[in-house]
Amino acid sequence: MARPLGPVRLKRTSPGTIAVGIVLVIVILYLLVSPSAPDFSAARKATAALHPLSPPTSPFRKSSAVGGKAGPPPVTRYNLNNVTITNDPVGNRENVLVLTPMARFYQEYWDNLLKLSYPHELITLGFILPKTKEGNAATIELQKQIAKIQKHGLEKERFKSIIILRQDFDPPIPSQDESERHKMANQKARRAAMAKARNSLLFTTLGPDTSWVLWLDADIIETPPTLIQDLASHSKPLTVPNCFQRFYNAEKKAMDERPYDFNNWQDSPTAQELASKMGKDDILLEGYADMATYRALMAYMYEAGADIHTEVPLDGVGGTALLVKAEVHRDGAMFPAFPFYHLIETEGFAKMAKRLGWQATGLPNYKVYHYNE
Amino acid sequence: MLPYASSSGSKAVPRHHASGYSNGYPRGNTFEISPHRFQPRGAAPPFRRRKGLFLRLAIALVSLLLFGLFVWPGDSGSFSWLGSGSEDFQLETVRYYDLSNVQGTAKGWEREERILICVPLRDAEVHMPMFFGHLLNLTYPHHLIDLAFLVSDSKDNTLAVLERELTAIQASTDPSKHFGEISIIEKDFGQKVNQDVESRHGFAAQASRRKLMAQARNWLLSAALRPYHSWVYWRDVDVETAPTTILEDLMRHNKDVIVPNVWRPLPDWLGGEQPYDLNSWAESETALALADTLDEDAVIVEGYAEYATWRPHLAYLRDPYGDPDMEMEIDGVGGVSILAKAKVFRYGVHFPAFSFEKHAETEAFGKMSRRMGFSVVGLPHYTIWHLYEPSVDDIKHMEQMEQERLAREKEEKEKAMKEQKMKESFGDATGQWEKDKNEIQNLAMQENKKAEEQPAAGQQGGPADGPANAAPKEEKKEGTQ
Repeated sequence: MARPLGPVRLKRTSPGTIAVGIVLVIVILYLLVSPSAPDFSAARKATAALHPLSPPTSPFRKSSAVGGKAGPPPVTRYNLNNVTITNDPVGNRENVLVLTPMARFYQEYWDNLLKLSYPHELITLGFILPKTKEGNAATIELQKQIAKIQKHGLEKERFKSIIILRQDFDPPIPSQDESERHKMANQKARRAAMAKARNSLLFTTLGPDTSWVLWLDADIIETPPTLIQDLASHSKPLTVPNCFQRFYNAEKKAMDERPYDFNNWQDSPTAQELASKMGKDDILLEGYADMATYRALMAYMYEAGADIHTEVPLDGVGGTALLVKAEVHRDGAMFPAFPFYHLIETEGFAKMAKRLGWQATGLPNYKVYHYNE
Repeated sequence: MLPYASSSGSKAVPRHHASGYSNGYPRGNTFEISPHRFQPRGAAPPFRRRKGLFLRLAIALVSLLLFGLFVWPGDSGSFSWLGSGSEDFQLETVRYYDLSNVQGTAKGWEREERILICVPLRDAEVHMPMFFGHLLNLTYPHHLIDLAFLVSDSKDNTLAVLERELTAIQASTDPSKHFGEISIIEKDFGQKVNQDVESRHGFAAQASRRKLMAQARNWLLSAALRPYHSWVYWRDVDVETAPTTILEDLMRHNKDVIVPNVWRPLPDWLGGEQPYDLNSWAESETALALADTLDEDAVIVEGYAEYATWRPHLAYLRDPYGDPDMEMEIDGVGGVSILAKAKVFRYGVHFPAFSFEKHAETEAFGKMSRRMGFSVVGLPHYTIWHLYEPSVDDIKHMEQMEQERLAREKEEKEKAMKEQKMKESFGDATGQWEKDKNEIQNLAMQENKKAEEQPAAGQQGGPADGPANAAPKEEKKEGTQ
């Protein structure tokens, strides 16, 4: 194997080395150029903020200043009198903020979200994830999917802007398993934490341009693509579709569906009486046998074949899917993390909205579907 | 010099090898293989070898271009980074924030914590110069301060003045003056309540006024709060005097919600100073009992005889020489100057625009903060001064005082005039008197001359006094006529 020295030493570069070099050059150039990959139309660029310090509901210009030193942010005026909230949101180019507290990433949720027919350039997505092992995994998966759409998707698929938040408190219950999650004893702490997460997400992302806020849980995997337009067409302060779940019915040996979200209800005298006897910090819960409230549940108001636009007034709402006029939240209606009239989280939200003069409306025949574990 | 040196060097190379290897091959000892000898390469082979390399590089470049065109079809701008392309910019659509990085600590200015200053405004044009004076003097690093203003139902020039002043600050040549994000938010709520002092503070108007104020505050906050804020500071525009270090002073306490004491200066006739903000208080048994008797929508307001709550007010506990760092736990807070951690607002605490535990706006904000387990603290001996705006009663009183003053002045003027005239009259009288005296003296002298003839001296003074005394009386009569 010993090779003679001399001319052999000045061996010609092998084609392999050159190939590796070329590949490297391409990769480096690609990395250099790739940030410019999201090529947005002029119309989209026109709505972008000039500075990173700006409402997160709009994209911002990456620093283009020569020398890299950007100037101070400009003085920006927002006229909230001009933010319309109408039953024709597409026609009036109204911005929608889709908010999702996420503990696990479901591909079906994301695929369903991408199918929404509302113009994506008017949709801002907001996510909040806990800083747990599960949350980290979900964040990574979410970021992967986001990069796919925002960097390499078609322009009409790309959303206006996306905000990912990480929670600043630990979830009170370590596991997100369904059985553990729905234990009555755990409910208050769990829902208080959920309320905090929802409020954190809402109040840091609402910004000055939003007309509608759509609350969509991370485990909602199937909705009509026209969800936003359909719910907004009612032009109600709070609009809730009926949340169902598909499952395999062992008796029928076929796929079937069942009502899922029991937080959409009309109040009952029994429930009010129960509440009046409770201590200040106790909460009323729905869907537990040992606390019969006899409230009228929207989950059971579904009629097959009936008009999907049937409306019923509600006193408590769930958060699985919920369209809210931004002005309701702006007035201060939030998700109480403490017992508010013995109600908490989304149910407390409906009550607080009512105290501010906003009534919740349910659509018992308009169905969305929850993930089945 | 360098090129010449190198050219002479290159000349030296062939000369050095000219003897043996002029054509690149050894002439003698043809069959001797000498691997230990340095064998210079000729000029041609490396070039030939590089020709291949250049060819490959060219192919690579072309393939890269093709690849680029494939990845970014129809995109003329994607290669503009190669040129200057300063007009072109890219969009960032995804933002990631970890909220555990914006908890708010005692030394926010060292940890680069961003603070949002919220200022609700209505018809506040007159206060603008004073307010901007305070703003520019804040010692907290300006680039960490974001400003948000809500201008609602304003009939004066507030908006234009605000925008002009703020633009001037951001355009300043001194970068330490520049603030962070500045938002001016316009929203009209169709407010019917007048903003003048009397209707603002009348008892009947309080509940609805407070609810409208609360609504405005919530709109401002929800539009301006960002995931990168650690602190939120609420400040009224009509604060007259406040320390420039107020942000740091309040932050140092590291409380969730903290307020200073708010007083106002008064004219001397009203006592010189007065507690102003009575909305910072600790809860009392009496007030809780009172709250239970009221209906759901009632709002307890402080400082009115209708609701005697017997609460300890932060304002009344002030000792001008007390320790400014002393803290007091409170339940209701006033809105003149509130520093709160942003997480308080993130978790959902806001200014209830409905009756929350029988309170509204900032007082209910305090109550809700407590309900959520946040610390709410007031500093009784750390005082800022609110602008003194006279109330209608004060104005009446002042008008009365003014009238009294005018009357007094008039009286004094008249008195002075009288005195003047009197003086003048006296002056005339003396003149007259002198004249009379002279005449009398003349007469007397004549009489003396006669008396010398008829000896009767000693009668001189008597007749001289007579006219002098009578003269002023006559003059006075003339003056009044």
